[in-house]
Amino acid sequence: MAGIENAEIEAAETQAAGAGVGAGAERPRRRAPRFLLAIPAWFLFVFFFAVPVLFIFYYSFGYKPDIFRTIATDHLSFDRYGDSFSDTFRDVFSGTLQVSLTGTLLCLLIGFPFAYWLAVKVPARWRGLLLGLTIVPFWTNFLVRTLGWLILLQPNGPLSGVLQDLHLIGSPLDILDTREAVQLGVVYNYLPLMIFPLFVALDRLDPALREASKDLGANRWRTFRQVTLPLASPGVIAGLLLVFIPLTGDYITALVLGGAKGNMVGALVASQFNTAQNWALGSAMAVILILMILGTVAIFAAIGLVGRALIQRRRRVEIAVEPA
Amino acid sequence: MSAVAARRDRARRDPVNLLLGAWGVAVFVFLFLPIVMIVIFSFNEGRALVVWKEFGLRPYVDALDNPTIRNAIFTSLRAALGAAVIATVCGTLAGIALARRPGRWTIGFLALVFLVLVTPEIVDAISLLIWYVRIGGPFGPDNTILNYGLVRLWVAHSIFATAVVTLIVRARLAGLDESLEEASADLYATPASTFRKITLPLMMPAVLAGALLAFSLSLDNTIISSFVSTANASPWPVYVFSAVRAVLRPEIAAMSTLVLLLTLFALGLVALVLRRGGASGEEAAAMLVGVEAAPGAPGK
Repeated sequence: MAGIENAEIEAAETQAAGAGVGAGAERPRRRAPRFLLAIPAWFLFVFFFAVPVLFIFYYSFGYKPDIFRTIATDHLSFDRYGDSFSDTFRDVFSGTLQVSLTGTLLCLLIGFPFAYWLAVKVPARWRGLLLGLTIVPFWTNFLVRTLGWLILLQPNGPLSGVLQDLHLIGSPLDILDTREAVQLGVVYNYLPLMIFPLFVALDRLDPALREASKDLGANRWRTFRQVTLPLASPGVIAGLLLVFIPLTGDYITALVLGGAKGNMVGALVASQFNTAQNWALGSAMAVILILMILGTVAIFAAIGLVGRALIQRRRRVEIAVEPA
Repeated sequence: MSAVAARRDRARRDPVNLLLGAWGVAVFVFLFLPIVMIVIFSFNEGRALVVWKEFGLRPYVDALDNPTIRNAIFTSLRAALGAAVIATVCGTLAGIALARRPGRWTIGFLALVFLVLVTPEIVDAISLLIWYVRIGGPFGPDNTILNYGLVRLWVAHSIFATAVVTLIVRARLAGLDESLEEASADLYATPASTFRKITLPLMMPAVLAGALLAFSLSLDNTIISSFVSTANASPWPVYVFSAVRAVLRPEIAAMSTLVLLLTLFALGLVALVLRRGGASGEEAAAMLVGVEAAPGAPGK
């Protein structure tokens, strides 16, 4: 038995030694394109994403011919974009951007200390469990979570009662159907998306780096500013994008908690398709929404790049001066 | 030993650490407050969800008795299952191709993935609505083989999820040493058996996490579903959303609580499987949200 096994292994080894040459000779025979395995996904993305979205771009240049039809494209114009920027709609666009930028910033301010605590301060044996707990809200339906806030924020609901008992407010809580309620709801709904990338980035940081910084005489704040924060910046950027993009397109949270005050761009688009049946105007608004998101991301990316270049230049001077 | 204890004690009493700890607890309260509310109000005997009357189990009885609610839940589960299968297959294959067969095609493909990820849901929703109506076939009412409402949901929910699975699998494979696969090929394993015996087991955690994520993204989807779904295949979030605009009754909280329990059970089970497979609790938790935990995480 053993003899046969040995012989087999030896044979395999001799063959393996020659495999380098063999593989080289064999390779040109297999001519499968390199993207072969990506074809199903590619098909899905092109046929059910790219092409339909291109249709939206095309429709945004059309018009609504009469009350019975939704779209006509026999003559194309930019008129629907003009309509989208009428006063009422412009307010909704700027309001949406305000809610989403404030919301993203609040998520970062709330999420960063939390992620830092979870990744650095919490004892390792508790970390898995606590991270698991943060996942639970993320895995609960977001509409249902929003309904939880709807219950909580009722004028004669639980929160109102507690706040009145504590004499923090004199009259029943009156926050539903306001911009503030919408802001609270979106921060709540998108906070987990900020926490996860931040946690991963902070968790990857070698504690030795912070200790080295301390040993070199940096105080806590300087260590945070010059070691932790720069190294965590990929997580910060990922978190900002993960929150900002879906938040700007969301209108469900706003509809539940903000009522008439919670009019987001998404709701405008939806109403053009569901009630007004004006596909051209709805498409134009959708295109503006996309451009608004990409434009904001581009502006902040540019600011970030310039800022980083400036900081790096300043730091380089510091290092060059210190040894002298 | 006592020096370590003293240092730990000092760290515990440090004001910054105390503040961070308090912040951590506060954020947990914030995260769970509305969920706790839903669970409490699922025992509300009143007629309206938001107005508490008295404790009782009637919402649960009513929810399970209501055929529309039952249908919505089953539609959601079937849609999520189909979407998860499509997304897992397409995304895993694409992830393998990206990690192991990179080339000029990679840039274009990744650009497409990026666009899928950044496009707001409402845009996907309206574009798919128009597209489904236009192409008909299996997506239209003329189709007699499949429930076209369900087909619409499968495809619609699988697009974003495929992009997510692609990135997760790619990240996992990029972190794995390709020499294992080369060694297998050198030992005369066929590409198929190398894949089955080396690549697949190594990337399994990523595939599993991706599949779960795809499933949960589909269960959660409200905006796209409310546009493309049909009357006979209307998923749970669409039912809840229509109730928001009409009457909110405690049954919704009851059914949501049941779904939450089911989710927690599934999550626990998967975490257990991942831990059995050698992942630390932290890694298992991280995988469930689609991110790779630090390779040498201290939690190990």
